[in-house]
Amino acid sequence: MAGYILKRLISALPVLFGISIIVFVIMAMIPGDPATAILGSYATPENVEKLKRDLGLDKPMMQRYFIWLGNMLQGDFGRSFSLNRSVLDEVLDRFGATLILAGTSFVLCSILGIAAGVVSAARQYGLADRAITFAVLLGISIPSFFLGMMMILIFAVKLRWFPVSGMWPIYGARDLYALISHLTLPALSLAVVATGVIARLSRSAMLEVLRQDFIRTARAKGVHERSVIWRHALRAAMVSIIPVLGVQAGFVLSGAVYIEMVFQWPGVGRMLVDAILKRDILLVQGGVVFVAACYVIFNITVDVAQSLLDPRIKT
Amino acid sequence: MMAFPKLLARNRLALGGLIVMGLVVVLALITPLLPLADPDVTNTANRFKRPFSEGALLGTDHLGRDLLSRLLWGTRLSLAVGFTAAIAAATLGAAIGIIAGYYGGRIDNIIMRGVDMLMAFPYILLALAIVAALGPGLMNALIAVAAVNIPFFARNIRGITVGIAHKEFIDAARLSGMTDARIILTEVLPNVVPVIVIAISTTIGWMILETAGLSFLGLGSQPPQADLGSMLGEARSALITNPHTSVVPGAMILIIVMAINLLGDGVRDALDPRLKSGALSRPMPTTMVKRTMPVPEAKAETLLALRGLKTQFQVKDRVYKAVGGVDLQVNPGECLGLIGESGSGKSVAALSIMGLVASPPGVITGGAVYYRGEDLIDAPYEKLRSLRGNRIAYIFQDPLATLHPLYTVGDQLIEAVRAHHPFNKTEARAHAIDLLKSVRIPNAEQRVDSYPHEMSGGMRQRVGIAMALANDPEIIIADEPTTALDVTVQAQILSLLDDLRRERGLAIIFITHDFGVVAQVCDRVAVMYAGRIVEEGPTRTILNAPAHPYTARLMACVPELGQGRRELAAIQGLPPVVDKMPKGCAFAERCNKASDACRQANIELVRHGANSLVRCISPETSALEASE
Ligand code: SF4
Repeated sequence: MAGYILKRLISALPVLFGISIIVFVIMAMIPGDPATAILGSYATPENVEKLKRDLGLDKPMMQRYFIWLGNMLQGDFGRSFSLNRSVLDEVLDRFGATLILAGTSFVLCSILGIAAGVVSAARQYGLADRAITFAVLLGISIPSFFLGMMMILIFAVKLRWFPVSGMWPIYGARDLYALISHLTLPALSLAVVATGVIARLSRSAMLEVLRQDFIRTARAKGVHERSVIWRHALRAAMVSIIPVLGVQAGFVLSGAVYIEMVFQWPGVGRMLVDAILKRDILLVQGGVVFVAACYVIFNITVDVAQSLLDPRIKT
Repeated sequence: MMAFPKLLARNRLALGGLIVMGLVVVLALITPLLPLADPDVTNTANRFKRPFSEGALLGTDHLGRDLLSRLLWGTRLSLAVGFTAAIAAATLGAAIGIIAGYYGGRIDNIIMRGVDMLMAFPYILLALAIVAALGPGLMNALIAVAAVNIPFFARNIRGITVGIAHKEFIDAARLSGMTDARIILTEVLPNVVPVIVIAISTTIGWMILETAGLSFLGLGSQPPQADLGSMLGEARSALITNPHTSVVPGAMILIIVMAINLLGDGVRDALDPRLKSGALSRPMPTTMVKRTMPVPEAKAETLLALRGLKTQFQVKDRVYKAVGGVDLQVNPGECLGLIGESGSGKSVAALSIMGLVASPPGVITGGAVYYRGEDLIDAPYEKLRSLRGNRIAYIFQDPLATLHPLYTVGDQLIEAVRAHHPFNKTEARAHAIDLLKSVRIPNAEQRVDSYPHEMSGGMRQRVGIAMALANDPEIIIADEPTTALDVTVQAQILSLLDDLRRERGLAIIFITHDFGVVAQVCDRVAVMYAGRIVEEGPTRTILNAPAHPYTARLMACVPELGQGRRELAAIQGLPPVVDKMPKGCAFAERCNKASDACRQANIELVRHGANSLVRCISPETSALEASE
């Protein structure tokens, strides 16, 4: 198992390398001159020249890429001019908040989505199936940012069950209770779309499995139908559900950008949008590379989980 | 393809989606012609008017602009951007995919590596990076959304192209000296266009949502121009005081995306052949029962008796009569062979006993199954479950498919025991090891922790048998248990079953298409053809002097010892299609003794000789011969 994990980690290296190249190339496409963008159009030419030298912009592309990569590997992602802070520090701070939001959402959508899919398949064409199918359709059609706004309107403003926005109360203790009450609405809004997608795929994966011979064997043994569905069928269906979970994790992470805007959540997505509007390129670059690298690592975890579940995969 | 609109029309939800989408598109197209207020004229005196107020049907926004007008213009813009992004992504993606798939080799490798890397990003990071580079703006948002979707199209289309690139007509075109460019345009492209169109239709809702999202973040359309996303983004600050300014554009996005999704689902369902054939419906815990005729009485007290059992498969409006009235009985310690070609209904009859015929489409429409005088057909689920694997157990044909691939054989054995006995885990495990030993599996202590895929076919089938023995049943129904195995293993399994039967006094129903197997283990044999028993009697009698012409022909096909196996289909002709049963003898088409009388009316199963039954008006043997 350890060997397998190591093998997967090594195979991720070219992907990480590729990601850094892609980000670098995109950023190099920026028209005009980042130094001018940073200093504003009223800067003196001498200042612009000096900044260019400081940023290493006078060197050729290749060299610049390797300097940038080398610095990143040493943990130096550069300095954000708009925040006047180390990019890595800022990204790490913000990423924690995003991880709490997206992580909670991911757990929610995995559990709810799989449960809904299983129930839907087990009661195919029944009332529960119809209700779930309709809810799923609604869920995958509603823009998460609109859903978030409606959640605020109903549950925060009208019913006053939850705070309107933010991650922590402005006054008062920053305890678990405060976090949960702030987290509930954004995490739910973020989870809805992925829940729908996972429910759909779980349903069809279950239907596929339920027709297999080993299900008939389980029934012929006298295993109770509940175990047939939740043990035999679900276990086998998980083999095709888990890769979907991996993909959906990417969508949850992406959707977090909108939800962070709607709920004023101090995450990395909102940081990126602000950085783009302020043209803080180093911050964007660092944030994107960091989050993408985390996602690659996460996908390795998914592969490992898959190999633990399915003994037929050679590890 | 002609039936496609019809299929779509039959799916009411998809039709609804189509109508709504059509309406929205028409509205967007005629927006410039409608008598609307200018969407960009501000009038702060009139700000935040409620919907249905005078002069503003949907009210006004924070700058006093008419919301209805802004909504329609915004919809127009959103649709245009979404469609453009989809088409741009599809075109570029398809081009990349076709090139990679057509040329293959090195080019393919490099391109697909790049695609994989792009797909390793959570898509929005890539979109944000592109917008960051190009700067905020609707056009740039469009480029970003299109760009992040290119890998998806490229990968799909490449897969299709690889399949086409190796077809003969492509080779022929190459040999005839056509240039690659011409081959791609004239031979490859027409074949992938339908796939591209389907991919566009499934992603367009997504594209609309994504561009709206970027605009919502303030990275897409810039004021005063507004698409639905930026309308929503601007309205956000007034969400609490004036929710209508948010609800109007938000609801519109929801309506559009939902209509597209409904339509997309309808298209997918219409094109999916598995849905039509019912292959995607789940089998229920027990076979459906719809008995219309009176239930036949149990005759004498026997262990297990089938009386006039009828099982059908009902697919859409066609009915396949798989089992058309079967009578059978087994006594304690007896081995009954049930023999016939594949499709004769022997397996379906056997599965009907415990309600294991997949349903839908299977339905038991008549007859009864008496276990110790009790009818199992209308038994409630819990009653059936308590008998399944406990008193009546099954052994199935292919143990690789019939054992759960992800649990160890030990777990599966333990489960079989614990389904009926309150053993704790340790007791059950010890019992599982004993079971493995009883079917002569060496190293049972280690084997108990193996997965099915780690065992040989013969070993797996021993596990299947151990599982059937787990609760010391009275009856075992073995459905071609040796068919998937090679000859030596087959012989071992047969002698194992025979020993077990003698040791434990088991009754066995042995389903097979092989007379050699029947000769080895069965006391009595019933021959099935087209869903009915055509002959039944002691094995010796039937093997020596088959009375039914069909049995005689089947036996003529049995291989001589050491000659390898011949298929039963060696009989000329095919069995009748079970949804079009002839009036008279079902075998008449293939029988060389067939006369007019055979085709007139139903042929009854009648006593023939001392212990046999036959369903034929001119049997091969006289009743006297049959009695010997
Ligand atoms: S009834 Fe007639 S057709 Fe049928 S098997 Fe007998 S002889 Fe042949």
